Amino acid sequence: MPNAELADARRDELSGLIEQVARGDRAALAAVYERTSAKLFGVCLRVARDRDAAEDILQDVYLKVWNRAGRFDRTCGSPITWLCAVARNAAIDWVRKHGAPVLPAPDPDDASGADLGEAMEAMAADEGRAHIFDCLEGLPDQQQRAIRLAFFDGSSHSELASIMQVPLGTTKSWIRRGLLQLRGCLQGE
Amino acid sequence: MAAELALGVLEGEERAEAIRQSLANPAFAAMVRKWQGRLDPLGEGYDETPPPSNLWPAIEARLGAQPLGGDVRKVQFWRGATALAGALAACLAAVVVFRPPTIQEVQVQAPSGGSAIAQLAGADGTLLAANLSPQENRLSIRAVTLPDSALVPELWIIPGDGVPRSLGLINADGTTLVVLPPELKALLVDGAVLAVSLETPEGAPHTAPSSTPIATGKISTI
Repeated sequence: MPNAELADARRDELSGLIEQVARGDRAALAAVYERTSAKLFGVCLRVARDRDAAEDILQDVYLKVWNRAGRFDRTCGSPITWLCAVARNAAIDWVRKHGAPVLPAPDPDDASGADLGEAMEAMAADEGRAHIFDCLEGLPDQQQRAIRLAFFDGSSHSELASIMQVPLGTTKSWIRRGLLQLRGCLQGE
Repeated sequence: MAAELALGVLEGEERAEAIRQSLANPAFAAMVRKWQGRLDPLGEGYDETPPPSNLWPAIEARLGAQPLGGDVRKVQFWRGATALAGALAACLAAVVVFRPPTIQEVQVQAPSGGSAIAQLAGADGTLLAANLSPQENRLSIRAVTLPDSALVPELWIIPGDGVPRSLGLINADGTTLVVLPPELKALLVDGAVLAVSLETPEGAPHTAPSSTPIATGKISTI
């Protein structure tokens, strides 16, 4: 089976499982967990930066999936995107409430380049990836970096200012301009 | 601000204000959803890390306690046990799953000792005033101005996780005394949001509001 078809089949299967969870099927939740827990744990760990916290958050995430599966609509997007959003929102809620260990300030030498990273390069090779990745790469370096830190690491405005070593107003304006440019890029499809 | 809430970059008072807006203002909520729709596909960029093997049994055990709903954590002690011994843990798992738990450890912060108030406001002059006495497990709420409706007002508490929990139906006219269930009492802390939506009386208290709240307001301790 070609890759694209395989990916479609997997997505349909996962969507079907989430729909079964919405009907109260615990075995389906176990199957969703089996297929997605490594991804969602990756999300929790990256945002919370603490293993114990990430484990607690991941438990809450699957209880949320259990309670909210009825809100998933396969016509609105991919199931893994929906699950990642549930996990990311839960993890960000957690760190805004409890705080998270500070991200180390980067080595100035690799500030704009290196941590844009291997994951992005791997994604770039994948033709099926979402258009927003191309849009993100089209942003000026600082805006791109601020948005990536905010999205993937769950950094807040004040954390961005301290990581990027610039005034708060500067990171806020990078974020706002970056978001507007992303929207323009996505609408220009 | 809708975009920044969807991105998750807001903190403190700005974040609280944006969450309150998204609960009270349908147009703002729609913008947040739109931004989430734009940004969420980035989630595919996260790397995978397998969680420890004892995590699923812990989730399953908490699922067993789900009808109580929400954030009551009963299995923390059990998770410690799994770390100690797999075989023993498997037996404990059976116990936790098949025996209904009798002890509830309520998480979250302890409710404040003093009293608290909230003013719930909405469009077209909709206004309610609430007075909380946590030590007496009750809340009184007065409907000052509500829109005419065949539906009935239902009161919700929305803590920091953004998930509304029903405190039951209230009178559309005059004052209602609401007895706080023990598992929800701890959520009524300074800064948590009270909201009122209009619902059909059948099936109340409901598990989630069916529409946007007509009034919201933050709890302030005195």
